[in-house]
Amino acid sequence: MNFLQVLIDNLRKGPATEPFPFGDASTPAAYRGRVAIDQDACVGCRMCEHVCAGGAIRFAEDNEALHLVIWHNTCVSCGLCAVYCPTKAITLTNNWHVSHRQEDKYKQVDHVTIPYSACTSCGVVFLKAQDPLMQLAYKTVGANETRLRDLCPDCRRVESSRGARP
Amino acid sequence: MTRTFDIPIGPLHVALEEPMYFKVGVEGETITALDLYAGHVHRGIEYLTAKRNIYQNMVLLEHVCSLCSNSHPETFAMTLEAIAGIEVPPRAHYLRMIADEIKRTASHMFNVAILAHIIGFDSLFMHVMQAREIMQDVKETIFGNRMDIAANIIGGVRYDLDATSIAFLLNQLDQLEPVLRDEIIPIYATNRSVLSRTKGIGHISRADCVDYGLMGPTARGSGLAYDVRQVAPYSAYGEIEFEAQSLPDGDVWSRAMVRLKEALSSIAILRECVRRLPPGPISAGPLPRIPAGEAIAKTEAPRGELVYYVTTDGTDVPARVRCRVPSYMNWEALKVMMKGGHVSDIPLIVNSIDPCVSCTER
Repeated sequence: MNFLQVLIDNLRKGPATEPFPFGDASTPAAYRGRVAIDQDACVGCRMCEHVCAGGAIRFAEDNEALHLVIWHNTCVSCGLCAVYCPTKAITLTNNWHVSHRQEDKYKQVDHVTIPYSACTSCGVVFLKAQDPLMQLAYKTVGANETRLRDLCPDCRRVESSRGARP
Repeated sequence: MTRTFDIPIGPLHVALEEPMYFKVGVEGETITALDLYAGHVHRGIEYLTAKRNIYQNMVLLEHVCSLCSNSHPETFAMTLEAIAGIEVPPRAHYLRMIADEIKRTASHMFNVAILAHIIGFDSLFMHVMQAREIMQDVKETIFGNRMDIAANIIGGVRYDLDATSIAFLLNQLDQLEPVLRDEIIPIYATNRSVLSRTKGIGHISRADCVDYGLMGPTARGSGLAYDVRQVAPYSAYGEIEFEAQSLPDGDVWSRAMVRLKEALSSIAILRECVRRLPPGPISAGPLPRIPAGEAIAKTEAPRGELVYYVTTDGTDVPARVRCRVPSYMNWEALKVMMKGGHVSDIPLIVNSIDPCVSCTER
């Protein structure tokens, strides 16, 4: 094989590289880019924190809510959080434009709040099972399930066993 | 009169841009002795695995080495599956093989491209890298990343192929195969510049390969046709027919040719895997319980036999993870390969074992 022929062929084909930044670079649909979290679908199960390889996802709590915090600069885009998320609240977008100015490096953070509810019986603040979790756990969410989920774990135990024989 | 002295080479920019320090004893232009000093990029990954749970470790071990980044988590998952007695579904076995062979093709082409770069044949280097880009596009499109393809989870895989992605994969193979078979391999086989720099250089005999425990294309370039995929088939390699590539000469050229032929055979294996891809689930379930136990698993990484040993204590944090990488033994063989060689051939010989410092030092 004459290498000159290869060179001529390649010359005829033109550039093999993407024209970025002067043109668009193609991004496949499966590309694992910046993580996005759907606030409404997150149920605060903490599975993403458990599997996060880089420790980019952390949970914190205060009196009113559970907070999911993701540091995008610590994220390695492995996508484990998306794989293990039971409600598919986490997705990896195709956004690979993650460069930013040095002074913005501590601002590459996303924050999701999952508010606590007060128990309708005793008033204790607790993390209520959110709608996506209810849909995942029950075929149909009836009146009984809806009533029970507004109770804190202790009251729910009492309520569920009411009328049961010892 | 010839003078004898030691020259320091490295730690940076010997063949690959990874640090390894060579103390080369020379007599005039001829190499008489070699000492290796490693440890410049030791990251303590084996220690870190005992600080993380098995899910995090799948990602951590993927980052041991970018070119074998499928083999490490795959082998680690295989040990856990052995400990827990998890039955990996047949479709997952085939998908694992597909991921493996895609990585192998890209890895071999990368090494062979670097060979061209070292001998100063940069237009050939660019040509091979451009052809390799076909495989990089496959990785990016099917797995979502060019290097860390994250194909495996414990008990199976986390990606699936549908009709569109299979068509894309086959189309990319159709593009790559003729370039590899009709352009790249004939150039490496006949081009005078390539032959004059690589034929008869860095010789190691088959007997020395056995003595040094060499693995992968390095050993197969000396006629030692040891391929884990055939000797101890894992996944579904036992169901697929292919030949272990080997050449008898044991020089730099033979090792490069073995890699090129393996890349070609990987393409054939990929086609066969896609053709036989069985239906069914892609993993054994989301959260396996791993009991206390220990296991060993081995796979054929692009550089040779990769062995993992894992001890678990019933929690999801492993008690001990140990890996033996093929590069570790291959480094020592440089002492044989370089003896009597010329100083100018040092990078070429180093590259011919396809060294991986990040695997070696972890």
